[in-house]
Amino acid sequence: MRVCSSTPTNVWLWLFQRISAVLLVLVLGIHLWLANFGQASASLRAILGVILLGLALFHGLNGVRTVILDFNVGTQGHKFVTTTLLLLGVALLLFGVHGLWPLIVGG
Amino acid sequence: MTRRIAQLFGKGGELNPRNVRLGVWAWLIQRISGVAMVLFVAAHVIAISQANLALTGPLFTMLDGLRNPFWAVDRTVLAIDLLMLGIITFHGMNGIRIVLFDVGVGLRSQKVVFWIMIAVGVLASGFIIFYGLPLLGGT
Repeated sequence: MRVCSSTPTNVWLWLFQRISAVLLVLVLGIHLWLANFGQASASLRAILGVILLGLALFHGLNGVRTVILDFNVGTQGHKFVTTTLLLLGVALLLFGVHGLWPLIVGG
Repeated sequence: MTRRIAQLFGKGGELNPRNVRLGVWAWLIQRISGVAMVLFVAAHVIAISQANLALTGPLFTMLDGLRNPFWAVDRTVLAIDLLMLGIITFHGMNGIRIVLFDVGVGLRSQKVVFWIMIAVGVLASGFIIFYGLPLLGGT
């Protein structure tokens, strides 16, 4: 039984996955620090929130894409999964920015 | 039981727990924790959005509102948040390990690097728990 399949991969997505991973460790560290000990202005929290949201959504949904594609979904399924997750990501980004809006305009 | 596992995965199968080495456990937990974190982020964004949209006064009012129900009253939420802290720390630390290997650092000592990252993660999350939680709990 093979665990990993050879799935069509995009080298740019792979690279951005690594870059967003490193950035997420840093930004999430700041996020946790501010949540526990921080005294930051609303505008700084808003900027960090939007950056963290974008990074987390890209990294998370691209990771879900990698996991699903490892189950050999075929060319059609491959396109369907990518498109669906992209639309889901845009929708969740808009929803998150909507939630952060009081911080953004109030900062 | 052993026979059943062997039937399921094959005696030399990669998913037979007998044959699963440390690196494969790390790979498997990395994937499962990743999916768990996507679900958590969705719930987290919804919860914080509700708090932010209800914001009427200055910033500290919102933070006070977040502190009480999350930490002081609902122990289930506290347990979930602590579990997520552990999951996120593991995923992040193991992720750094993967990135290090991708740039060619530590390839010959992958297991040692794994336990070093786990130690760093335990220290970091321990710091948050022992210094951060009392503040959030208001005690």
